[in-house]
Amino acid sequence: MLSGCGGGDDDSAADGAGTASAGAGGGGGGKAANCTNKVRNEQAPVVTMWAWYPNMEKVVDNFNSQNDDVQICWTNAGAGPDEYEKFQTAVSAGSGAPDVVMLEADRIPTFQVQDALVDLKGLGYEDVKANFSDGAWKDVSVGDGVFGAPVDGGPMGMIYRKDVFDKYGITPPKTWDEYEAAAQKVKDAGGPLFGDFPANQPAYVTALLYQNGAQPFNYSPSDGGTIGIDLDSEAVKQVLDYWAGLTSKGLVGKQDQFTPEYISGVIGGDYATYLSAAWAPGYLQGAGVGTGDDKGVWATAPLPQWDPSNPVQVNWGGSAFSVTKQADNPELAAKVAFGVYADDASLEEGWKNQIIFPLSLKVLNDPAFIDYKVPFFNGQQANKEVYVPAANGYQGMTYTPIGQYFYTAFTKQIAAINEGKASGSEAADALQKDVEGYAKEQGFTVQ
Amino acid sequence: MTLSLTPSTSTAHPVRAARRRAPARRKNLAGWLFVAPFGIVFVTMLILPLGYALYLSLFRRALIGGTRLVWFDNYVKAFNDPSFREGVSFVIRFSLVLIPVQMAISLAVALMLDLMVNRFARFSRLMIFMPYAIPAVIGALMWGFLYSKNFGPLADISSLVGADAPDFLGSKLIFWGLFNVVTWQWAGYYMIILFAALQGIDPSLYEAARMDGASQWQIALRIKIPLVAPALLLILVFALIGTLQFFNEPKILQPLAAGALPEDFTPNMYAYEQAFNLANYNYGSAISFSLGAVVFVCVYLFLFATRKRGSFLS
Amino acid sequence: MSSGVTQRGSRTPRRPRYLPLHVLLAFLVVYFLVPFWWLIVNSSKSSAGLFGGGNALWFSDDIDYGENFRQLFTYGGGIYRRWLLNSALYAVAGGVGATVLAVLAGYGFAKYRFAGRRLAFAILLGAVMVPTTALVIPTFILFAKIDLTNTVWAVILPTWLNPFGVYLMHVYARDAVPDELLDAARVDGAGEFRTFLRIALPLMRPAIITVLLLSIVASWNNYFLPLAMLSDNRLFPVTVGIGLWQSTASTYGAAGGQSLWSIIILGSLISVVPLIVAFLTLQRYWQGGLSLGSLK
Repeated sequence: MLSGCGGGDDDSAADGAGTASAGAGGGGGGKAANCTNKVRNEQAPVVTMWAWYPNMEKVVDNFNSQNDDVQICWTNAGAGPDEYEKFQTAVSAGSGAPDVVMLEADRIPTFQVQDALVDLKGLGYEDVKANFSDGAWKDVSVGDGVFGAPVDGGPMGMIYRKDVFDKYGITPPKTWDEYEAAAQKVKDAGGPLFGDFPANQPAYVTALLYQNGAQPFNYSPSDGGTIGIDLDSEAVKQVLDYWAGLTSKGLVGKQDQFTPEYISGVIGGDYATYLSAAWAPGYLQGAGVGTGDDKGVWATAPLPQWDPSNPVQVNWGGSAFSVTKQADNPELAAKVAFGVYADDASLEEGWKNQIIFPLSLKVLNDPAFIDYKVPFFNGQQANKEVYVPAANGYQGMTYTPIGQYFYTAFTKQIAAINEGKASGSEAADALQKDVEGYAKEQGFTVQ
Repeated sequence: MTLSLTPSTSTAHPVRAARRRAPARRKNLAGWLFVAPFGIVFVTMLILPLGYALYLSLFRRALIGGTRLVWFDNYVKAFNDPSFREGVSFVIRFSLVLIPVQMAISLAVALMLDLMVNRFARFSRLMIFMPYAIPAVIGALMWGFLYSKNFGPLADISSLVGADAPDFLGSKLIFWGLFNVVTWQWAGYYMIILFAALQGIDPSLYEAARMDGASQWQIALRIKIPLVAPALLLILVFALIGTLQFFNEPKILQPLAAGALPEDFTPNMYAYEQAFNLANYNYGSAISFSLGAVVFVCVYLFLFATRKRGSFLS
Repeated sequence: MSSGVTQRGSRTPRRPRYLPLHVLLAFLVVYFLVPFWWLIVNSSKSSAGLFGGGNALWFSDDIDYGENFRQLFTYGGGIYRRWLLNSALYAVAGGVGATVLAVLAGYGFAKYRFAGRRLAFAILLGAVMVPTTALVIPTFILFAKIDLTNTVWAVILPTWLNPFGVYLMHVYARDAVPDELLDAARVDGAGEFRTFLRIALPLMRPAIITVLLLSIVASWNNYFLPLAMLSDNRLFPVTVGIGLWQSTASTYGAAGGQSLWSIIILGSLISVVPLIVAFLTLQRYWQGGLSLGSLK
């Protein structure tokens, strides 16, 4: 696309001039005409927004009723990849993007490198800097710039079936060796699969790589785009070989996750553990887990470690609000990005219903949150025992502009491992070659 | 691609001399006026976008370094790209298996229904056609559930014989999983076309054959099939074009079978991935045009092989 | 042509030796209907019933169409109803537009020997081979330049392009509308368009209904075009809406504490009803019409 960089900006600037006056009147391609929510103060300038948090309508209403000088016009343009596809298309076309967009942190560099996102430094970042941990800021930063307002994260833990563990006489494994031993024990006793190694969740597997100290990427946007790619390190190979071993021994499943197939397996007790993030209970309950025969059997524990004396905390998922370059008024959009889903009412609604695990330190330090007895875990104080420590220990990851390609390539390699076509080490080597080739082709200097 | 088709097909026909009469000019204008509304849509919705895509395909874009003119390098790259080549190889293999089976089923059912004239046959005809009315999204949703190893009927049937349920969404059987979805969706549509063509045959031909002592088999083979050959050819060509451009079903099943259906599974999916997920319209367009060339060659080869070039394009 | 199908219904008397064929046919019918049956049965279930390991092809203990209905039409502020209406709008506006254009053009190609006709027609036939997915990308960019994306027109306008419909109308008009009738009308002094309206149009009715039905089906079932063009979910047709729910149900954290699979399945069932009804009620026309273009 020719208009990818320079031209696109000119286009959107021209659009802005055209629609600024029309504003809430709904002229200029229906910018404010099609909101899913109700705009309360019709006189105020409108900021458009895409987001897919399930309680977004309430959150937006909270914001709109508390702010008279700006109103949000929100729509759900699709969840996750569907939304990124749309946003990508709008970025390429130079128009059609909202002012504020919800992005998972790992997607931010992909759009930042296309000059689609606004640096929030100087636009309110300084005022809220103290509200979030350094790890949270690292995840939404590219180089020196901050390109998203953090909202929620996914500190990881090990969700498990207490009834299954009791039946086979095992306790939550503290290390990966113990995890495998427990899996073997359950299998030998004729029990269910112990876990799952899904090809369609490369982000999850990437988190497991980090947990072994791998630093697969390094990215510095300043010197013309230099990427360090280290996907064939010993740390990576050890993790992939470990999981290749578990799948080939039949200790864990090879099922794609977030599918009805997986959910029915979880409900049916086919998996003794589900290594996942703090948002998992909300997702599982929505899919019907823990509401039938399996009510009250779920518990959670910290993720097993490679080196228990030196535990590493990792994160899977979590989103931020970014301001797009197509925003008519970046200051106002930044105010929305930082302000929406930051008020007490919205945050409490979010975490109580386990829709989000907030990154706001105000919540993370709030005894009501820490001591909360999570109904899904049968009253276990999951935040205190597992997720808050995991969130506090999290150091952040490095994401790159070639994240989309990396995930696609990684999915292929995980599938190859699951089909027995490649060992973990072979998959790591192939992945390194594939991703490196793409990075070079895209003009990056690869270290 | 459209333009390149023109000379090869039109030269196959002798140009009929236009009638030269007094109102010829008026009729000439009227003809254009009838065609014009569609022509405008055709130009704005097809020629223009295609031309634009062709233009885009001549550039190469990198995330760093921007866009530059590379002429036909993207095409050279596409035909050397393992993803594209394996995708083309898959759709050709898929066509070679799917189309004959699909045609055989459609033709067999159409012949059966042509023979059996009663309420059950009429009911069957409608029911077999019905999947055509179902959006691909919903068809894939239904089959995705039916394929389930945990809660689908396959699981129940397999457990009866004590076997593990086959995994039609796994990489080993995905070929047949897709084969089934496509056959289910389209066989009825093709069957109806063939059935209607069969119904259009003059019944007196059958009487004559019967008097010569021909069986129903012989009538089907010697009279019916040859007479519906043009219809068969038409749907073969459409099935071929559709299958080489295979996209909807694998794309929609992808969330259920990400491991078995990678983003470069078919050339069209690969083009889509390049354009919409990797922000590379240029290479995506080049892949689309390369696929177009493959489709054109395959269709032309097919028409040439059947030596019926004229009948479809008359 | 269409009436031929029904008229010859009583041609052959039923014969017992076709019994094996009947059995075979019954098997085929079961195969083609199983997914529909699955849809009907499973839209009665709660998510616990769906995934809880009961029989996939039979009802669970608590048949709960009522609750699923209520959820379907209230979830997200009753957006499903809107999606249905959008689908109807796109299908009718897209289908009617495509048909009108196809009828005019097909008649023009069939009955006028205008200059450039052969070339235009050959280009038209070539167009059938263009992958529609290849068009979505550049069309989106072009529409974005004139601010047409994320409007109903972005979905309707591209569906007006139906080269195959033109081809069908051409074949039908060529065979079913005699030149002599047209010439007679012209001799009586009728203009070209009037001749078309009075003489040709009534004769072309079966083909028109067929093309209309096919165009409507194509619009109603369209998925990737609206998916790419629309970002505002209140403009979505029902296919894209159900796709949105599916992706919501399969994306972590997006569905919250609500199970969507039950309403996805019931929503799918309801969304296929209108087309099935249309096909059943109009079968007299389209069954004959579909053989168009294959007889010659």
